[in-house]
Amino acid sequence: MKKNIQIRMDHLWFHYHDRVVLEDIRIEIEKNAITAISGPSGQGKSSFLMVLNRLWENIPGARVTGRVEMDFGKGFEDIHRSSLPVHRLRQRVGMVFQTPNPLPMSIYKNIAFPLTLMGEKDRAKIAFRVEAALKKAYLWDEVKDRLAENAETLSGGQQQRLCMARALAAEPTVLLLDEPTSSLDEASVRVIEDLLLELKKSCTIILVSHYMDQIQRIADHCLVLSDRRLRPDTAKGRDI
Amino acid sequence: MTRSVPDRLLSFFSWACALSLISALFIIIGFLVLKGYKALTPELIFGDVRPLDALLLKRQVFGGLFPAMAGTFFLILLSMALALPLGLASGIYLAEFAPSGTKRVLSFLFDILSGIPSIVVGLFGFSITIFLHHYFGGRIFPCLLISALSLAFLVLPYIIRTTQIALESLPLSLRLTAPALGATKARNIFYVLLPSSLSGIISGLILAMGRCAEDTAVIMLTGAVATAGIPKSVFSGFEALPFYIYYMASEYSGPPELMKAYGAALILLILCTVLFVFSHGIKHLLRAKTQYLPNPL
Repeated sequence: MKKNIQIRMDHLWFHYHDRVVLEDIRIEIEKNAITAISGPSGQGKSSFLMVLNRLWENIPGARVTGRVEMDFGKGFEDIHRSSLPVHRLRQRVGMVFQTPNPLPMSIYKNIAFPLTLMGEKDRAKIAFRVEAALKKAYLWDEVKDRLAENAETLSGGQQQRLCMARALAAEPTVLLLDEPTSSLDEASVRVIEDLLLELKKSCTIILVSHYMDQIQRIADHCLVLSDRRLRPDTAKGRDI
Repeated sequence: MTRSVPDRLLSFFSWACALSLISALFIIIGFLVLKGYKALTPELIFGDVRPLDALLLKRQVFGGLFPAMAGTFFLILLSMALALPLGLASGIYLAEFAPSGTKRVLSFLFDILSGIPSIVVGLFGFSITIFLHHYFGGRIFPCLLISALSLAFLVLPYIIRTTQIALESLPLSLRLTAPALGATKARNIFYVLLPSSLSGIISGLILAMGRCAEDTAVIMLTGAVATAGIPKSVFSGFEALPFYIYYMASEYSGPPELMKAYGAALILLILCTVLFVFSHGIKHLLRAKTQYLPNPL
């Protein structure tokens, strides 16, 4: 049994209209580790991630019951409690989607966006953190001379790294990644994987991935989602 | 690769439809230009007054189109100022906040509203004028404000529905981006959703402006008169280009007056074009403001 737990889930059910997507999930996720989630398509892996930052609340017809607790340094807190505003939770639990989704604004503003949402007004500090985030995502050298350009002009791989940098700019405690490398070439995949290995020192990472070789390379734990249930991947002896 | 006969027929039919529509547009514009270009002189607009004197309101213009142009311009401005905030807010409410049942009912009602003939809206405005005239002891007459209110009511459904549809057609991935970064609903709407749906919203705006500029039925019942000069306040009567065209075309006494009507039609067209270009300019300005400025928000 692990000692260092970041997330606890108990009796978690996810419904989409009348359809049950996730059934009675009870798991614990380790702090400062990469937990991979694999399984067949359309089984609710993305829905599972959306439970953790309550993004399901923005999807019409979605409903979640059960308990989800996270440790942000002051012991376990119920993420559904009314005293925790949802936007505060999402600033601590970052998310990168499968398809790159730059906002319709400049490259610089994309990265600065989460910082301004957090109330940061000091322009010098914002500029420093934008640069740091872009460097972390190995994008700085490619975009430093075109920060004022529309982010949609970047290539697919660059856009995905931009989204990664944007999620990192807010320095989240938990980072949710929904197949972040599926639109990247081999070289970019390796870059992102190295980044994740580096990031787990400061952040708990939950990674949805179809690629077993990728899971073997970087994940500390692996969970498989099938038949609406999440189980440890015992076949590989890497269960949590 | 050879295409099948139905395929070719369909392609031919589509081309023919597009071509006939475009030619209709060019025929109308060409006809107006041919008939009206000779009338386009400073006298048509300013009569016998010096243009500078007329523009500085030193002398009143009689027999020229300047008061009608000013009337139409103020009418469009006032109608849009009334309809735009209400229309945008209602569109945002329908797309982002309304529960599905309320949304269905309201969308249906706004669709009905957009189908109401303008003469009915004009009569409604006229009835309101009569009511106000009695209520305020005969101090309220048909005027610019009542015309603008009636026109705003007429174009409101366009603005509401285009705003709603433009917002609703944004992909879910874009809608979720800012909330996933910790944006509140209001910030998501103002920083991401509205800038992304700007083209759709501006199209609705252009449609609404065009409607305000051309509608005659509403204004002839609620405030437009043949001779009023430049409107002194929103409570005075006003001249308007479509109304001028209407009565010149139906009651002209000779070819010179008919020529003036053609000239007026051409000026109305130019006025609309200027407004459309202006609104496109605003669109690009807003987009540049949300996209390209390097400093954050």
